[in-house]
Amino acid sequence: MYHFDWVIFFHYLWPVSAFQDPLIRNGLITTIVVSIVAQAMGVIFGLFAALGKMSKAPVAHWLAEAYIWYFRGTPLLVQMSLLFFGFGVIHLYDFPDIHIGLITITGAIQAGTLALGINEGAYMAEIVRAGIESIDVGQMEAAKSLGMTYGLAMRRIVLPQAAKVIIPPLGNEFNNMMKTTSLMEVISASELFFAFNEINARLFKPFELFIVCSIYYLVLTTVWSIIQARIESGLGERKAMEKNPGMLSRLFAAR
Amino acid sequence: MSVTMSTTFQPNSNNNQTVIVKAERINKSFGRLHVLKDIDLTVKKNEVVVVIGPSGSGKSTLLRCINHLEKINSGHIIVNGRMIGYYERNGRLVEESERNIARQRAEIGMVFQRFNLFPHLTVFQNIIEAPMNVRRSDRSAAEADAMRLLERVGLADKRDNFPSQLSGGQQQRVAIARALAMKPNLMLFDEPTSALDPEMIGEVLDVMKELAQEMTMIVVSHEMGFARAAANRILFMDEGRILEDTTPEDLFDHPREERTKAFLSKILH
Repeated sequence: MYHFDWVIFFHYLWPVSAFQDPLIRNGLITTIVVSIVAQAMGVIFGLFAALGKMSKAPVAHWLAEAYIWYFRGTPLLVQMSLLFFGFGVIHLYDFPDIHIGLITITGAIQAGTLALGINEGAYMAEIVRAGIESIDVGQMEAAKSLGMTYGLAMRRIVLPQAAKVIIPPLGNEFNNMMKTTSLMEVISASELFFAFNEINARLFKPFELFIVCSIYYLVLTTVWSIIQARIESGLGERKAMEKNPGMLSRLFAAR
Repeated sequence: MSVTMSTTFQPNSNNNQTVIVKAERINKSFGRLHVLKDIDLTVKKNEVVVVIGPSGSGKSTLLRCINHLEKINSGHIIVNGRMIGYYERNGRLVEESERNIARQRAEIGMVFQRFNLFPHLTVFQNIIEAPMNVRRSDRSAAEADAMRLLERVGLADKRDNFPSQLSGGQQQRVAIARALAMKPNLMLFDEPTSALDPEMIGEVLDVMKELAQEMTMIVVSHEMGFARAAANRILFMDEGRILEDTTPEDLFDHPREERTKAFLSKILH
């Protein structure tokens, strides 16, 4: 009969005691920050890849196609290893640690974030493209008939409308992203999963520690899904407001 | 005698001589479908030209070629003295840069069948969007213009509403105001009342009739009342050709072509 170590379990579950260990404290912060940065990169790469894919210029089109094809067609873990270990070996970029004041961004975190962001961009590309294509072509035509160039019409007219379509799947992508950052463990980027692995190497309590670790991720994704629901209902409300005039204005509307 | 003729006639005829649109031998195909066949069309300043014809006759395509929303396969269209969409290099036509096409389009207003207002912007923002971001006019001037235009189309009280809060007729009037905000010297109307409920057609046509007194307009529409009241010319198109080009009275009362008669009998009931 296995003796469940409640002391260790609660020590690492209870934030006040757990955060005394800098591994966990920094690991959690790293996971959150890397998720946000990689997702933001994913949105930017995805936007350009989507515009490239829709472009009539062959070079832009095929560059975007190749990017999406490669990064969706190979495992993220392989991409990350290639970027961190491979680029270091051929001295294309060694990923030296970056020091900003008291903060150190290790090479592993840089490479991991970059790999996550580029990989995410390939998936975001399809989401952004679907969002843009959901907007009636009449919008682009109206904008052009007013003298707007394609770029200006995209920026001012099409993308703001497409954003409403893009935001719900973007939220799901971010939820995934927070979990996927744990892959950075293989290149020794000190994020949350890495922290628990390190502690486990010291204490050898994998059952207790990885349950606690999963609870941390569960809290992150649950908190995010609550925020996401708020954002989406906010979007819904604004849509409803545009569609239906309020009760008062309906009662007193003079058409 | 000739002197008095010329003095009374000159200012008016001079004004009417300015050519706004000149299309020569334009052809347009969608794949194997030949939609426009050797179209010639000249529209002078302040003329109001109504285009009628059965669906698929090419009338909307003709309109869309005039502001280069559709590319033509051959021929050329001159708008405001400049070829639209293309320039000549070593005797061949090359498509203009996007920026130059946009510049040319800014001088041509267009009103669509389905309004195409920007749903994420208020009525007021819809109108000032292009003057501010394309013309780079300053905000106060753009806003003053927008307010004047909204009053002109009778919708000043709707300035802060979103398009989806307006009726179809109101949306189309906003769309007209939005196009006029760029101070175009040519307005294209692509079936502006076809998507409207019958009771809203009048309010849009009233705005168009008033505008017709001072604007060069090409209107694809089957509103015969509008054609009679406001048009100088009416074109009948069928199968990619202009079959008749005459005054509304002449066309309605003495149609020459059999196809015109058949078409008119269908739409006039």
